[in-house]
Amino acid sequence: MGSSVVSTRAQSRFQLAASQLQLIATKEFGDRFRSGWVFACVLVWLGAIGLTSFLGLLQIGHIGVQGYERTVISLLNLVQYLVPLLGLLLGFDLIVNEREEGTLRFVLAQGVGRSQLLFGKFLGGCLTLTVPLVLGFAIAGTVIGVAAKDNSIAPFLRLAVSGLVLGIIFLSVGLMISTFCRTRVQALVFALLTWCVMVFVFDLVALGVIVSTESRTAAQEIEVLCDTTHVNAAADIHSEFDNASERKSETAVVAEGTSIGWLALNPVDLFRAVNLSQQLELRTSAPIIFSVVTVWLTIALGLSFWKLRRTDL
Amino acid sequence: MNRYLEISGLTKCYRMIRALDDVNLSLERGCVLALLGPNGAGKSTLFSCILGLTTPTRGTVSLEGRTPTDADRASFGYVAERVSLYSQRTVAENAAFFARLRGQTVSEVKTQLKRVGLSRASNRRVCQLSKGMLQRLGLAIALCGQPKFLVLDEPFNGLDPALLDGLQSILREEHQRGATLLISTHTMSAVEPLATHAAILLNGKLAAFATLEALRAQHESADSLETIYHRIARERQPMPEVLV
Repeated sequence: MGSSVVSTRAQSRFQLAASQLQLIATKEFGDRFRSGWVFACVLVWLGAIGLTSFLGLLQIGHIGVQGYERTVISLLNLVQYLVPLLGLLLGFDLIVNEREEGTLRFVLAQGVGRSQLLFGKFLGGCLTLTVPLVLGFAIAGTVIGVAAKDNSIAPFLRLAVSGLVLGIIFLSVGLMISTFCRTRVQALVFALLTWCVMVFVFDLVALGVIVSTESRTAAQEIEVLCDTTHVNAAADIHSEFDNASERKSETAVVAEGTSIGWLALNPVDLFRAVNLSQQLELRTSAPIIFSVVTVWLTIALGLSFWKLRRTDL
Repeated sequence: MNRYLEISGLTKCYRMIRALDDVNLSLERGCVLALLGPNGAGKSTLFSCILGLTTPTRGTVSLEGRTPTDADRASFGYVAERVSLYSQRTVAENAAFFARLRGQTVSEVKTQLKRVGLSRASNRRVCQLSKGMLQRLGLAIALCGQPKFLVLDEPFNGLDPALLDGLQSILREEHQRGATLLISTHTMSAVEPLATHAAILLNGKLAAFATLEALRAQHESADSLETIYHRIARERQPMPEVLV
Protein backbone atom coordinates (compact mmCIF):
# COMPACT_ATOMS: atom_id res chain seq x y z
CA MET A 1 0.00 0.00 0.00
CA GLY A 2 2.72 2.40 1.13
CA SER A 3 5.05 1.47 -1.72
CA SER A 4 2.28 1.89 -4.30
CA VAL A 5 1.62 5.42 -3.01
CA VAL A 6 5.33 6.20 -3.27
CA SER A 7 5.56 4.79 -6.80
CA THR A 8 2.45 6.73 -7.90
CA ARG A 9 3.97 9.90 -6.48
CA ALA A 10 7.28 9.19 -8.22
CA GLN A 11 5.43 8.53 -11.48
CA SER A 12 3.50 11.79 -11.28
CA ARG A 13 6.74 13.67 -10.50
CA PHE A 14 8.37 12.09 -13.53
CA GLN A 15 5.39 13.01 -15.69
CA LEU A 16 5.50 16.60 -14.44
CA ALA A 17 9.25 16.82 -15.09
CA ALA A 18 8.83 15.38 -18.59
CA SER A 19 6.00 17.78 -19.35
CA GLN A 20 8.08 20.74 -18.09
CA LEU A 21 10.96 19.66 -20.33
CA GLN A 22 8.64 19.40 -23.32
CA LEU A 23 6.99 22.76 -22.58
CA ILE A 24 10.31 24.59 -22.33
CA ALA A 25 11.65 22.96 -25.51
CA THR A 26 8.53 23.70 -27.56
CA LYS A 27 8.36 27.27 -26.26
CA GLU A 28 11.97 27.83 -27.25
CA PHE A 29 11.32 26.52 -30.75
CA GLY A 30 8.04 28.47 -30.95
CA ASP A 31 9.79 31.72 -30.03
CA ARG A 32 12.45 31.21 -32.71
CA PHE A 33 9.81 30.25 -35.23
CA ARG A 34 7.83 33.42 -34.54
CA SER A 35 10.93 35.55 -34.75
CA GLY A 36 11.54 34.30 -38.30
CA TRP A 37 14.80 32.55 -37.39
CA VAL A 38 13.65 29.15 -38.67
CA PHE A 39 12.36 30.52 -41.98
CA ALA A 40 15.49 32.64 -42.49
CA CYS A 41 17.71 29.60 -41.84
CA VAL A 42 15.77 27.49 -44.36
CA LEU A 43 16.35 30.23 -46.96
CA VAL A 44 20.03 30.47 -46.03
CA TRP A 45 20.53 26.73 -46.48
CA LEU A 46 18.56 26.59 -49.72
CA GLY A 47 20.50 29.55 -51.10
CA ALA A 48 23.85 28.26 -49.89
CA ILE A 49 23.41 24.73 -51.26
CA GLY A 50 21.79 25.89 -54.51
CA LEU A 51 24.42 28.51 -55.26
CA THR A 52 27.40 26.36 -54.34
CA SER A 53 26.06 23.53 -56.46
CA PHE A 54 25.50 25.87 -59.42
CA LEU A 55 28.53 28.13 -59.09
CA GLY A 56 30.88 25.97 -57.02
CA LEU A 57 33.18 25.17 -59.93
CA LEU A 58 33.46 28.73 -61.16
CA GLN A 59 37.09 28.75 -59.94
CA ILE A 60 38.04 26.04 -62.44
CA GLY A 61 35.91 27.36 -65.24
CA HIS A 62 32.73 25.27 -64.93
CA ILE A 63 29.20 26.50 -64.35
CA GLY A 64 25.94 24.57 -63.75
CA VAL A 65 24.40 22.22 -61.21
CA GLN A 66 26.99 19.72 -59.95
CA GLY A 67 26.48 16.28 -58.48
CA TYR A 68 26.38 15.54 -54.76
CA GLU A 69 30.08 14.88 -54.24
CA ARG A 70 31.26 18.09 -55.91
CA THR A 71 28.53 20.08 -54.14
CA VAL A 72 29.76 18.70 -50.82
CA ILE A 73 33.33 19.80 -51.56
CA SER A 74 32.16 23.28 -52.55
CA LEU A 75 29.84 23.52 -49.56
CA LEU A 76 32.30 22.30 -46.95
CA ASN A 77 33.95 25.64 -46.19
CA LEU A 78 30.62 27.42 -45.90
CA VAL A 79 29.15 24.78 -43.59
CA GLN A 80 32.19 24.72 -41.32
CA TYR A 81 31.99 28.49 -40.89
CA LEU A 82 28.24 28.90 -40.79
CA VAL A 83 27.06 25.96 -38.67
CA PRO A 84 29.26 26.68 -35.61
CA LEU A 85 28.22 30.33 -35.83
CA LEU A 86 24.53 29.40 -35.98
CA GLY A 87 24.93 26.99 -33.06
CA LEU A 88 26.67 29.61 -30.94
CA LEU A 89 24.19 32.35 -31.88
CA LEU A 90 21.33 30.06 -30.93
CA GLY A 91 22.87 29.01 -27.66
CA PHE A 92 24.51 32.14 -26.28
CA ASP A 93 21.31 33.79 -24.99
CA LEU A 94 19.26 30.75 -23.98
CA ILE A 95 19.81 31.28 -20.25
CA VAL A 96 21.33 34.74 -19.91
CA ASN A 97 18.44 36.38 -21.75
CA GLU A 98 15.90 34.91 -19.33
CA ARG A 99 18.14 35.93 -16.46
CA GLU A 100 18.34 39.52 -17.67
CA GLU A 101 14.59 39.70 -18.30
CA GLY A 102 13.83 38.23 -14.87
CA THR A 103 11.80 35.33 -16.30
CA LEU A 104 14.38 32.73 -15.23
CA ARG A 105 13.52 33.34 -11.59
CA PHE A 106 9.81 33.06 -12.30
CA VAL A 107 10.18 29.86 -14.36
CA LEU A 108 12.23 28.17 -11.63
CA ALA A 109 9.77 29.34 -8.98
CA GLN A 110 7.10 27.23 -10.71
CA GLY A 111 8.84 24.08 -9.49
CA VAL A 112 10.91 23.58 -12.63
CA GLY A 113 14.16 21.77 -11.85
CA ARG A 114 17.34 23.32 -13.18
CA SER A 115 18.08 20.17 -15.17
CA GLN A 116 14.66 20.33 -16.84
CA LEU A 117 15.24 23.99 -17.68
CA LEU A 118 18.69 23.37 -19.09
CA PHE A 119 17.82 20.29 -21.15
CA GLY A 120 14.52 21.82 -22.24
CA LYS A 121 16.41 24.83 -23.56
CA PHE A 122 19.00 22.57 -25.18
CA LEU A 123 16.35 20.42 -26.87
CA GLY A 124 14.52 23.53 -28.06
CA GLY A 125 17.78 24.81 -29.52
CA CYS A 126 18.46 21.45 -31.20
CA LEU A 127 15.00 21.56 -32.75
CA THR A 128 15.58 25.09 -34.00
CA LEU A 129 18.85 24.02 -35.55
CA THR A 130 17.57 20.74 -36.99
CA VAL A 131 14.34 21.81 -38.70
CA PRO A 132 15.83 24.40 -41.10
CA LEU A 133 18.95 22.34 -41.77
CA VAL A 134 16.95 19.21 -42.59
CA LEU A 135 14.45 21.17 -44.69
CA GLY A 136 17.21 23.05 -46.53
CA PHE A 137 19.24 19.92 -47.26
CA ALA A 138 16.18 17.85 -48.18
CA ILE A 139 14.77 20.37 -50.66
CA ALA A 140 18.12 21.35 -52.19
CA GLY A 141 19.26 17.69 -52.23
CA THR A 142 16.17 16.66 -54.15
CA VAL A 143 16.69 19.44 -56.69
CA ILE A 144 20.38 18.53 -57.16
CA GLY A 145 19.53 14.83 -57.52
CA VAL A 146 16.93 15.55 -60.21
CA ALA A 147 18.91 18.25 -62.06
CA ALA A 148 22.29 16.47 -62.02
CA LYS A 149 20.78 12.97 -62.34
CA ASP A 150 23.05 11.86 -59.50
CA ASN A 151 22.20 8.84 -57.33
CA SER A 152 25.24 8.78 -55.05
CA ILE A 153 23.71 10.78 -52.22
CA ALA A 154 25.91 9.35 -49.44
CA PRO A 155 28.45 12.25 -49.27
CA PHE A 156 25.61 14.77 -49.21
CA LEU A 157 23.85 12.89 -46.40
CA ARG A 158 27.13 12.62 -44.51
CA LEU A 159 27.59 16.39 -44.82
CA ALA A 160 24.05 17.07 -43.56
CA VAL A 161 24.32 14.71 -40.58
CA SER A 162 27.85 15.75 -39.60
CA GLY A 163 26.86 19.42 -40.04
CA LEU A 164 23.93 18.92 -37.73
CA VAL A 165 26.11 17.21 -35.11
CA LEU A 166 28.64 20.04 -35.43
CA GLY A 167 25.85 22.56 -34.88
CA ILE A 168 24.59 20.71 -31.82
CA ILE A 169 28.09 20.67 -30.30
CA PHE A 170 28.38 24.44 -30.78
CA LEU A 171 24.86 24.93 -29.47
CA SER A 172 25.90 23.20 -26.24
CA VAL A 173 29.03 25.39 -26.08
CA GLY A 174 26.79 28.45 -26.57
CA LEU A 175 24.51 27.23 -23.81
CA MET A 176 27.52 26.86 -21.52
CA ILE A 177 28.59 30.43 -22.31
CA SER A 178 25.03 31.53 -21.57
CA THR A 179 25.07 30.02 -18.09
CA PHE A 180 28.45 31.51 -17.20
CA CYS A 181 27.84 35.07 -18.41
CA ARG A 182 25.94 37.77 -16.55
CA THR A 183 24.78 39.82 -19.54
CA ARG A 184 23.78 39.09 -23.12
CA VAL A 185 26.48 41.37 -24.49
CA GLN A 186 29.15 39.54 -22.51
CA ALA A 187 27.78 36.21 -23.74
CA LEU A 188 27.75 37.41 -27.36
CA VAL A 189 31.36 38.55 -27.13
CA PHE A 190 32.43 35.19 -25.69
CA ALA A 191 30.42 33.32 -28.33
CA LEU A 192 32.09 35.23 -31.18
CA LEU A 193 35.52 34.76 -29.62
CA THR A 194 34.87 31.03 -29.31
CA TRP A 195 33.86 30.91 -32.97
CA CYS A 196 37.02 32.70 -34.06
CA VAL A 197 39.21 30.42 -31.97
CA MET A 198 37.58 27.18 -33.11
CA VAL A 199 37.25 28.05 -36.78
CA PHE A 200 40.45 30.06 -37.42
CA VAL A 201 42.91 30.35 -34.55
CA PHE A 202 43.06 26.67 -33.53
CA ASP A 203 44.26 25.45 -36.93
CA LEU A 204 46.83 28.19 -37.37
CA VAL A 205 48.25 27.63 -33.88
CA ALA A 206 48.32 23.87 -34.40
CA LEU A 207 50.11 24.25 -37.73
CA GLY A 208 52.59 26.59 -36.08
CA VAL A 209 53.23 24.03 -33.35
CA ILE A 210 53.81 21.27 -35.87
CA VAL A 211 56.18 23.39 -37.96
CA SER A 212 58.22 24.36 -34.92
CA THR A 213 58.34 20.93 -33.30
CA GLU A 214 58.33 18.43 -36.16
CA SER A 215 60.27 20.12 -38.91
CA ARG A 216 61.32 16.85 -40.53
CA THR A 217 57.84 15.67 -41.32
CA ALA A 218 56.24 19.11 -41.21
CA ALA A 219 56.09 19.58 -44.95
CA GLN A 220 54.17 16.34 -45.45
CA GLU A 221 51.84 16.99 -42.55
CA ILE A 222 51.02 20.55 -43.55
CA GLU A 223 49.95 19.27 -46.94
CA VAL A 224 47.39 17.00 -45.29
CA LEU A 225 46.40 19.49 -42.64
CA CYS A 226 45.78 22.30 -45.09
CA ASP A 227 43.40 20.03 -46.92
CA THR A 228 41.80 18.81 -43.74
CA THR A 229 41.37 22.23 -42.19
CA HIS A 230 39.95 25.34 -43.81
CA VAL A 231 43.32 26.74 -44.84
CA ASN A 232 43.21 25.49 -48.43
CA ALA A 233 40.70 26.85 -50.90
CA ALA A 234 38.05 24.49 -52.22
CA ALA A 235 39.60 24.84 -55.69
CA ASP A 236 42.60 22.74 -54.69
CA ILE A 237 40.35 19.98 -53.47
CA HIS A 238 38.37 20.07 -56.71
CA SER A 239 41.62 19.67 -58.62
CA GLU A 240 42.49 16.74 -56.39
CA PHE A 241 39.02 15.33 -57.04
CA ASP A 242 39.67 15.46 -60.80
CA ASN A 243 43.02 13.71 -60.42
CA ALA A 244 41.90 11.31 -57.73
CA SER A 245 43.14 8.19 -59.47
CA GLU A 246 46.65 9.58 -60.00
CA ARG A 247 46.84 10.90 -56.48
CA LYS A 248 45.49 7.94 -54.56
CA SER A 249 48.75 6.05 -53.95
CA GLU A 250 50.56 9.24 -52.98
CA THR A 251 48.01 10.41 -50.37
CA ALA A 252 47.85 6.99 -48.78
CA VAL A 253 51.55 7.28 -47.99
CA VAL A 254 51.09 10.78 -46.56
CA ALA A 255 48.24 9.67 -44.36
CA GLU A 256 50.21 6.75 -43.00
CA GLY A 257 53.11 8.93 -41.96
CA THR A 258 51.13 11.61 -40.18
CA SER A 259 50.23 12.07 -36.51
CA ILE A 260 47.16 14.25 -36.70
CA GLY A 261 45.39 13.09 -33.54
CA TRP A 262 45.05 16.67 -32.37
CA LEU A 263 42.47 17.16 -35.12
CA ALA A 264 39.99 15.38 -32.92
CA LEU A 265 40.28 18.13 -30.33
CA ASN A 266 38.50 20.55 -32.60
CA PRO A 267 35.07 19.42 -33.82
CA VAL A 268 35.39 21.72 -36.85
CA ASP A 269 38.46 19.85 -38.07
CA LEU A 270 36.90 16.52 -37.29
CA PHE A 271 33.86 17.54 -39.33
CA ARG A 272 36.06 18.37 -42.29
CA ALA A 273 38.06 15.19 -41.94
CA VAL A 274 34.81 13.16 -41.89
CA ASN A 275 33.61 14.77 -45.10
CA LEU A 276 36.95 14.61 -46.90
CA SER A 277 37.85 11.11 -45.79
CA GLN A 278 37.62 9.72 -49.34
CA GLN A 279 39.43 12.56 -51.07
CA LEU A 280 42.26 12.70 -48.53
CA GLU A 281 42.42 9.07 -47.47
CA LEU A 282 41.99 10.12 -43.87
CA ARG A 283 40.56 7.44 -41.66
CA THR A 284 38.23 8.84 -39.02
CA SER A 285 36.82 5.84 -37.24
CA ALA A 286 33.28 5.85 -35.85
CA PRO A 287 34.39 5.26 -32.21
CA ILE A 288 36.67 8.33 -32.38
CA ILE A 289 33.92 10.50 -33.84
CA PHE A 290 31.43 9.21 -31.27
CA SER A 291 33.90 9.76 -28.41
CA VAL A 292 34.73 13.32 -29.47
CA VAL A 293 31.06 14.26 -29.85
CA THR A 294 30.21 12.67 -26.49
CA VAL A 295 33.11 14.37 -24.71
CA TRP A 296 32.23 17.80 -26.11
CA LEU A 297 28.54 17.45 -25.27
CA THR A 298 29.25 16.05 -21.82
CA ILE A 299 31.72 18.79 -20.92
CA ALA A 300 29.57 21.63 -22.25
CA LEU A 301 26.27 20.42 -20.78
CA GLY A 302 27.91 19.21 -17.56
CA LEU A 303 29.57 22.57 -16.92
CA SER A 304 26.33 24.38 -17.79
CA PHE A 305 24.43 22.31 -15.25
CA TRP A 306 27.15 22.72 -12.62
CA LYS A 307 27.04 26.50 -13.04
CA LEU A 308 23.26 26.77 -13.19
CA ARG A 309 22.89 24.74 -9.99
CA ARG A 310 25.18 27.17 -8.19
CA THR A 311 23.49 30.28 -9.51
CA ASP A 312 21.49 32.19 -6.92
CA LEU A 313 18.55 34.08 -8.33
CA MET B 1 2.85 20.66 17.51
CA ASN B 2 2.62 19.78 13.82
CA ARG B 3 4.32 22.62 11.95
CA TYR B 4 3.59 23.26 8.29
CA LEU B 5 6.57 25.50 7.52
CA GLU B 6 9.72 25.30 9.61
CA ILE B 7 12.74 27.52 9.02
CA SER B 8 15.75 26.71 11.21
CA GLY B 9 18.97 28.68 11.49
CA LEU B 10 18.64 30.04 7.97
CA THR B 11 21.70 32.04 6.99
CA LYS B 12 22.63 33.38 3.59
CA CYS B 13 25.88 35.18 2.92
CA TYR B 14 26.82 36.93 -0.31
CA ARG B 15 30.58 37.30 0.04
CA MET B 16 30.92 39.84 2.89
CA ILE B 17 27.20 40.56 3.21
CA ARG B 18 25.04 38.51 5.53
CA ALA B 19 21.61 38.82 3.90
CA LEU B 20 20.00 36.40 6.37
CA ASP B 21 21.40 35.71 9.80
CA ASP B 22 20.18 32.66 11.71
CA VAL B 23 16.48 33.09 10.97
CA ASN B 24 14.17 30.70 12.82
CA LEU B 25 10.43 30.66 12.39
CA SER B 26 7.63 28.16 12.08
CA LEU B 27 4.06 28.35 10.89
CA GLU B 28 1.04 26.13 11.13
CA ARG B 29 -1.12 25.32 8.15
CA GLY B 30 -3.60 28.02 7.20
CA CYS B 31 -1.70 30.93 8.78
CA VAL B 32 -1.07 34.26 7.09
CA LEU B 33 2.38 35.64 7.84
CA ALA B 34 3.11 39.31 7.20
CA LEU B 35 6.85 39.63 6.64
CA LEU B 36 7.91 43.20 7.37
CA GLY B 37 11.20 45.00 7.14
CA PRO B 38 12.99 47.86 5.40
CA ASN B 39 14.48 47.53 1.92
CA GLY B 40 17.46 45.20 1.99
CA ALA B 41 16.39 43.52 5.22
CA GLY B 42 16.42 40.07 3.58
CA LYS B 43 12.72 39.49 2.87
CA SER B 44 13.20 38.55 -0.78
CA THR B 45 16.25 36.42 0.09
CA LEU B 46 14.14 34.53 2.62
CA PHE B 47 11.50 33.92 -0.06
CA SER B 48 14.19 32.85 -2.53
CA CYS B 49 15.45 30.26 -0.04
CA ILE B 50 11.92 28.94 0.51
CA LEU B 51 11.32 28.74 -3.23
CA GLY B 52 14.64 27.00 -3.92
CA LEU B 53 15.96 29.89 -6.00
CA THR B 54 18.84 30.52 -3.64
CA THR B 55 20.90 27.97 -1.77
CA PRO B 56 21.24 28.90 1.92
CA THR B 57 24.73 29.13 3.37
CA ARG B 58 23.45 27.40 6.49
CA GLY B 59 20.14 26.27 7.90
CA THR B 60 17.12 24.47 6.52
CA VAL B 61 13.65 25.08 5.19
CA SER B 62 11.16 22.28 5.63
CA LEU B 63 7.57 21.96 4.60
CA GLU B 64 5.39 19.35 6.29
CA GLY B 65 8.51 17.94 7.93
CA ARG B 66 10.72 17.55 4.86
CA THR B 67 12.80 19.64 2.47
CA PRO B 68 10.57 20.70 -0.41
CA THR B 69 11.46 19.22 -3.81
CA ASP B 70 10.91 20.81 -7.22
CA ALA B 71 7.70 18.80 -7.55
CA ASP B 72 6.51 20.16 -4.18
CA ARG B 73 7.27 23.68 -5.34
CA ALA B 74 5.07 23.14 -8.39
CA SER B 75 2.16 23.22 -5.96
CA PHE B 76 3.21 26.61 -4.54
CA GLY B 77 1.85 29.89 -5.79
CA TYR B 78 4.36 32.71 -6.16
CA VAL B 79 3.82 36.37 -6.96
CA ALA B 80 7.10 38.20 -7.55
CA GLU B 81 7.79 41.78 -6.51
CA ARG B 82 8.48 42.62 -10.15
CA VAL B 83 6.35 40.33 -12.29
CA SER B 84 8.59 39.33 -15.23
CA LEU B 85 6.84 37.51 -18.04
CA TYR B 86 7.44 36.98 -21.75
CA SER B 87 6.65 40.45 -23.05
CA GLN B 88 5.97 39.47 -26.68
CA ARG B 89 3.52 36.75 -25.73
CA THR B 90 -0.11 37.35 -24.85
CA VAL B 91 -1.69 37.25 -21.41
CA ALA B 92 -3.34 33.90 -22.18
CA GLU B 93 -0.13 32.38 -23.58
CA ASN B 94 1.93 33.46 -20.58
CA ALA B 95 -0.67 32.26 -18.10
CA ALA B 96 -1.06 28.93 -19.91
CA PHE B 97 2.71 28.39 -20.13
CA PHE B 98 3.42 29.04 -16.46
CA ALA B 99 0.35 27.20 -15.23
CA ARG B 100 1.16 24.16 -17.39
CA LEU B 101 4.68 24.15 -15.95
CA ARG B 102 2.94 23.48 -12.65
CA GLY B 103 0.78 20.77 -14.16
CA GLN B 104 -2.37 22.88 -14.37
CA THR B 105 -4.92 22.89 -17.17
CA VAL B 106 -5.84 25.70 -19.56
CA SER B 107 -9.42 25.78 -18.21
CA GLU B 108 -8.01 26.49 -14.75
CA VAL B 109 -6.01 29.37 -16.26
CA LYS B 110 -9.21 30.83 -17.78
CA THR B 111 -10.97 30.58 -14.42
CA GLN B 112 -8.20 32.44 -12.63
CA LEU B 113 -7.88 35.09 -15.35
CA LYS B 114 -11.61 35.73 -14.95
CA ARG B 115 -11.21 35.85 -11.19
CA VAL B 116 -8.61 38.61 -11.35
CA GLY B 117 -10.54 40.47 -14.06
CA LEU B 118 -8.20 39.82 -16.96
CA SER B 119 -10.33 37.56 -19.16
CA ARG B 120 -11.04 40.36 -21.63
CA ALA B 121 -7.36 41.21 -21.89
CA SER B 122 -6.28 37.64 -22.56
CA ASN B 123 -5.25 38.37 -26.15
CA ARG B 124 -3.20 41.44 -25.28
CA ARG B 125 0.55 41.22 -25.30
CA VAL B 126 2.19 41.46 -21.91
CA CYS B 127 4.28 44.46 -23.03
CA GLN B 128 1.01 46.39 -23.45
CA LEU B 129 -0.16 45.82 -19.87
CA SER B 130 -0.13 48.39 -17.07
CA LYS B 131 1.69 47.60 -13.83
CA GLY B 132 -1.58 46.77 -12.09
CA MET B 133 -2.64 44.40 -14.87
CA LEU B 134 0.76 42.73 -14.79
CA GLN B 135 0.41 42.26 -11.05
CA ARG B 136 -3.01 40.71 -11.56
CA LEU B 137 -1.64 38.38 -14.22
CA GLY B 138 1.09 37.29 -11.81
CA LEU B 139 -1.57 36.63 -9.21
CA ALA B 140 -3.73 34.65 -11.66
CA ILE B 141 -0.77 32.40 -12.48
CA ALA B 142 -0.02 31.94 -8.78
CA LEU B 143 -3.63 31.03 -8.00
CA CYS B 144 -3.86 28.28 -10.63
CA GLY B 145 -4.54 24.89 -9.10
CA GLN B 146 -5.63 26.17 -5.69
CA PRO B 147 -2.14 26.18 -4.13
CA LYS B 148 -1.80 25.16 -0.50
CA PHE B 149 1.07 27.59 -0.05
CA LEU B 150 1.18 31.12 -1.48
CA VAL B 151 4.28 33.31 -1.40
CA LEU B 152 3.65 36.96 -2.27
CA ASP B 153 6.56 39.37 -2.50
CA GLU B 154 5.35 42.98 -2.17
CA PRO B 155 1.99 42.25 -3.84
CA PHE B 156 0.42 45.59 -2.86
CA ASN B 157 3.10 47.81 -4.43
CA GLY B 158 1.76 50.35 -6.90
CA LEU B 159 -1.87 49.20 -6.80
CA ASP B 160 -4.70 51.73 -6.89
CA PRO B 161 -7.30 51.50 -4.06
CA ALA B 162 -9.77 49.46 -6.14
CA LEU B 163 -7.14 46.90 -7.14
CA LEU B 164 -5.83 46.79 -3.58
CA ASP B 165 -9.31 46.02 -2.32
CA GLY B 166 -9.77 43.33 -4.98
CA LEU B 167 -6.43 41.73 -4.10
CA GLN B 168 -7.26 41.74 -0.40
CA SER B 169 -10.56 39.97 -0.99
CA ILE B 170 -8.90 37.32 -3.18
CA LEU B 171 -6.25 36.71 -0.51
CA ARG B 172 -8.98 36.51 2.12
CA GLU B 173 -10.77 33.85 0.04
CA GLU B 174 -7.53 31.91 -0.29
CA HIS B 175 -7.00 32.06 3.46
CA GLN B 176 -10.56 30.88 4.09
CA ARG B 177 -9.95 28.01 1.66
CA GLY B 178 -7.14 26.91 3.99
CA ALA B 179 -4.06 28.11 2.11
CA THR B 180 -0.98 29.23 4.02
CA LEU B 181 0.13 32.70 2.94
CA LEU B 182 3.50 34.44 3.22
CA ILE B 183 3.22 38.11 2.34
CA SER B 184 6.12 40.55 2.40
CA THR B 185 5.09 44.18 2.23
CA HIS B 186 5.74 47.78 3.18
CA THR B 187 1.98 48.49 2.97
CA MET B 188 1.20 47.33 6.50
CA SER B 189 -2.32 48.69 6.52
CA ALA B 190 -3.14 46.39 3.59
CA VAL B 191 -1.80 43.22 5.18
CA GLU B 192 -3.05 43.87 8.74
CA PRO B 193 -6.66 42.77 8.13
CA LEU B 194 -5.40 39.48 6.64
CA ALA B 195 -2.42 38.53 8.78
CA THR B 196 -2.52 36.03 11.65
CA HIS B 197 1.24 36.33 12.30
CA ALA B 198 3.88 38.99 11.74
CA ALA B 199 7.65 38.71 11.41
CA ILE B 200 10.02 41.66 11.32
CA LEU B 201 13.38 41.32 9.60
CA LEU B 202 16.08 43.90 10.29
CA ASN B 203 19.49 43.58 8.65
CA GLY B 204 18.88 39.90 7.99
CA LYS B 205 17.98 39.12 11.59
CA LEU B 206 14.55 38.23 12.83
CA ALA B 207 13.71 41.08 15.22
CA ALA B 208 10.22 39.85 16.06
CA PHE B 209 7.98 36.93 15.24
CA ALA B 210 4.63 36.30 16.88
CA THR B 211 0.92 36.17 16.30
CA LEU B 212 -0.70 39.52 15.69
CA GLU B 213 -2.57 39.20 19.01
CA ALA B 214 0.65 38.60 20.91
CA LEU B 215 2.34 41.59 19.28
CA ARG B 216 -0.64 43.80 20.09
CA ALA B 217 -0.57 42.56 23.69
CA GLN B 218 3.15 43.37 23.97
CA HIS B 219 2.63 46.86 22.57
CA GLU B 220 -0.63 47.85 24.23
CA SER B 221 -0.56 51.50 23.29
CA ALA B 222 0.10 50.76 19.60
CA ASP B 223 -2.98 51.25 17.47
CA SER B 224 -1.74 49.45 14.35
CA LEU B 225 0.77 46.96 12.98
CA GLU B 226 2.64 49.87 11.46
CA THR B 227 3.15 51.51 14.87
CA ILE B 228 4.37 48.19 16.31
CA TYR B 229 6.76 47.78 13.42
CA HIS B 230 8.19 51.28 13.81
CA ARG B 231 8.69 50.80 17.55
CA ILE B 232 10.57 47.54 17.10
CA ALA B 233 12.58 48.92 14.20
CA ARG B 234 13.57 52.02 16.19
CA GLU B 235 14.57 49.95 19.23
CA ARG B 236 16.71 47.55 17.22
CA GLN B 237 17.98 49.78 14.48
CA PRO B 238 17.91 53.53 15.20
CA MET B 239 19.11 54.47 11.71
CA PRO B 240 18.88 51.83 8.97
CA GLU B 241 22.26 50.99 7.48
CA VAL B 242 22.47 50.81 3.73
CA LEU B 243 23.89 47.49 2.59
CA VAL B 244 26.63 47.95 0.01
